[in-house]
Amino acid sequence: MSVKDKAAVVGIGRTKYYKRGQSFPMTQDEMAIKAITLAIEDAGLQKADVDGFALYSAAIDPGKVAAEMGLANLRFAATLTSGGGGAAGSIGLAAAAVASGMCNYAVSLMTLQQLRHRLGGTQVAPPADPEAAAAMAAMMRTPMTAFSQANIASPGHNFAMITNRHMAQYGTKREHFAAQCIAQRANAIRRPTSIFTEPLTMDDYFNARMISEPLCLFDYTPETDGAVALITTTVDRARDLRQPPAVIAGSANGGTGKHYSLLGSFQMPDESFASGGHRDVAKQAYRMAGIGPADVDVALLYDHFSPMVLMQMEDYGLCPVGESGPFVADGNTAWPNGSIPVNTHGGHLSEGYVIGMTHAYEAVEQVRGTAVNQVEGCEYALFTGGPATIPMSATILRKA
Amino acid sequence: MSLKDEAAVVGVAVARAEGADAQLAMPDLAIVAANAALADAGLERADVQGFCSPSGVCDHGALASQMGVPEVSFSATLTSGSGGGAGALALAAAAISGGFADVVVTLSRYESAPRSGGTGPNALLRPPPGAAASAYGLSGGPGPDGALSAPAALRSYGAAAALTANAYLHRYGISREHVGRWVVQARANAGEKLSLDDYLAAPLVIDPFSELDAAPGIATSYVAAVVTANVERARDLDQPLVVIAGAATGGSPINGAPWQGPAELVASSGHRDVAADVYGMAGASASDIDVALLADDFSPWVLMQLEDYGFCGVGEGGTFVADGRAVVGGTVAVNTHGGNITDAFARGVTHIDEAVRQLRGTATNQVPDASTALVTGDPGTMPLSAVIMRRA
Amino acid sequence: MTTTEPTAKPFRNMPPPNLTDPYADARTQPFWDAARQEQLLGPKCAQCGTFRMPPSTFCPVCLSRELAWEPLPGTGTVYTFIVVRHPLNPMAADYVPFMPAAIDADGAPGMRFISNVVDCEPEDVRVGMPVRVVWNHVSNTLTLPFWTPV
Repeated sequence: MSVKDKAAVVGIGRTKYYKRGQSFPMTQDEMAIKAITLAIEDAGLQKADVDGFALYSAAIDPGKVAAEMGLANLRFAATLTSGGGGAAGSIGLAAAAVASGMCNYAVSLMTLQQLRHRLGGTQVAPPADPEAAAAMAAMMRTPMTAFSQANIASPGHNFAMITNRHMAQYGTKREHFAAQCIAQRANAIRRPTSIFTEPLTMDDYFNARMISEPLCLFDYTPETDGAVALITTTVDRARDLRQPPAVIAGSANGGTGKHYSLLGSFQMPDESFASGGHRDVAKQAYRMAGIGPADVDVALLYDHFSPMVLMQMEDYGLCPVGESGPFVADGNTAWPNGSIPVNTHGGHLSEGYVIGMTHAYEAVEQVRGTAVNQVEGCEYALFTGGPATIPMSATILRKA
Repeated sequence: MSLKDEAAVVGVAVARAEGADAQLAMPDLAIVAANAALADAGLERADVQGFCSPSGVCDHGALASQMGVPEVSFSATLTSGSGGGAGALALAAAAISGGFADVVVTLSRYESAPRSGGTGPNALLRPPPGAAASAYGLSGGPGPDGALSAPAALRSYGAAAALTANAYLHRYGISREHVGRWVVQARANAGEKLSLDDYLAAPLVIDPFSELDAAPGIATSYVAAVVTANVERARDLDQPLVVIAGAATGGSPINGAPWQGPAELVASSGHRDVAADVYGMAGASASDIDVALLADDFSPWVLMQLEDYGFCGVGEGGTFVADGRAVVGGTVAVNTHGGNITDAFARGVTHIDEAVRQLRGTATNQVPDASTALVTGDPGTMPLSAVIMRRA
Repeated sequence: MTTTEPTAKPFRNMPPPNLTDPYADARTQPFWDAARQEQLLGPKCAQCGTFRMPPSTFCPVCLSRELAWEPLPGTGTVYTFIVVRHPLNPMAADYVPFMPAAIDADGAPGMRFISNVVDCEPEDVRVGMPVRVVWNHVSNTLTLPFWTPV
């Protein structure tokens, strides 16, 4: 009983990626509809075929978008419960939906517009209105939160805590993070979609502003707007459609219960504290796909912060635990010559941030053989959802 | 390819915020419910691998962490705040069938009036669930879309349901007497006496509803937990095997844009497509259903769903009930526990609980040899849902 | 030792204040009462002895609701930390740089306090650095623990 090899991604679509706020006057829903429409065309489907939404982070209200798009009927509408952690897993959810018979064609997507608020900003910014601020403060001041009030106020702060531990525990250095940022930038600037257009140098990295030590400006994903959509169906239906199917070989969304505290109270066990928190998810996804790390041809690892790319490499067994720093510095993750190219699209760090869905898009292109920075002979593509509180996720695609 | 017969319902429990648990908020009350359902199943916390719920019930991560679940491999909710327990069960079955988890806990939750304590408003006056409500200005402030509907002051669940109910009653010439006969029957199922005269004499709150037509205010918050397992695992457990033969969610997108569709669909429960899907997957039809647990925050929903699930023709829900066919020994036993309008939650019995009891043979109003049960989730907001369970 | 006078910025590199009133319930009140007396307590399960942070209702190991508060010696080690140099909201501008940290407290294995390292230059903070608790009497009703190098 498994979804392995029963479903495939058959259509992909995306908007342009904009700098934060510059997608206005489009709305988030408009961008979503645009991406879905392009995915439908890519697949060679009709609007009337789409009958399910398999989401993460409740990206949209499916009923509302379905009504606006004039979709015929909606037979599946569910979301993984995490934020960016669920990006990869939403494709697994889509596979479950179509394999279960609950719907025929499931859309997974993300749409993001950072016009009025900034995703990576402080988690405790009070509303302007004093009454609303007081109400929000009261809500946050529960007896439990009283024990976590150290002003660790943003995702950057959270991941800096983990990064410092990794550096102390394994001797990882900022040069190692820089190497990954540089490799990804080199990938991004070859692509017309990229927000950045110039290479990144080691000097650029070390001259950059420190934000949350040890993380500097280039260790953070930039803030962008955009939408990306994928359509999944059963492998039987996929055969009749326009594109070579990207078969879903394995997927998982979850993690160890003790990693819940990652974005709050940092009680993760010592043996996995300095990690991406993905070890259980990696195990589950590989097990379902029936493969191991050596079979992965390209890895699209969620990169809200550069050190988390390194830590996920360890979680997924792409290099030994604690050794990701030198592994990256030796060029192993670079394209085209690395032993395991990582983020061939440039990733969040350089191409654009749509909360993980650009990684899904790139994974599909890689197994189709149509990526800009194509890995030769790519058979298996791994993509992950963001290290964060559980559930986190991973999906493995296989060339048909 | 379907989830038919791959997942089983193995444990059910309801935890209420009363007595020693009176102060428990989420996720603590969910921990109590989940553990009770696991005990009913004969499973342990270490067996749990996944969580499903309608949206907004509980932070699954916090739950897993504080409950001591060692490893999670699936965590999802329905969107838009609705679908009820049946929808969450469908999601759990898809997860199990997909191999994401062997054991999944599904949760649903009902809150009493939050801080002030005491009994919360009944369904008539409660805010409506779901994002559809907020999109159309029915809860909180109107957004740009909602501003067009907000002046109608449809501020409550009851108001929204009444619009649909009136359309339905008017279209098919169904009277309050017909609906009242259902309410009387439901009360009898709950072990209470109510006469039709008493029903008709009760003052209307929002036409066509009196307080007797709506789920009462909830005195204490509660969480309902259901444990599902893959069928091989379930065979090893002690409870009689209850498999999920079919599960469906969805509904026409007009449910996301209330009252904008064809008149025939607006004046209905909206379940016709979901019914076709769930029967299709289960390989069943209305005549196979021994007991139907139909979502009933408002009494006319039962009549509308009887029609949409094919127990009678469209427009015939009233006469079906009046002819005494919706009872144990009739065509199909309906809401044998009385349902939400009789505050079955206060007696710790949800629709899913009752379906499972019927199939295990432990229900109060037992349908003899009940082997197939239908459970539906809320009409009116996306997604709608239905599950068919079978004693295997 | 008690004091009822609020003290302003008693230490170097303090974080911005974000607590004004104590928000304890009956279960967590013992921690804050002991803090007023400059005694550090660690929350542990009264049944199985597992320490947990924060002090949630249920013990994740044995599900007991009985919480015990273990007196701790007030020493510990920095498990990890960060240096905030860039204020995320205007009220933090007067306080950067400051050092949030996760602290392994002696006597409370398996849990970490989330707090701040104070009276220390950011360059000097290290993972593994021995620290001891110090107390910030914020107001008449609230005292917070911070940690400083031994």
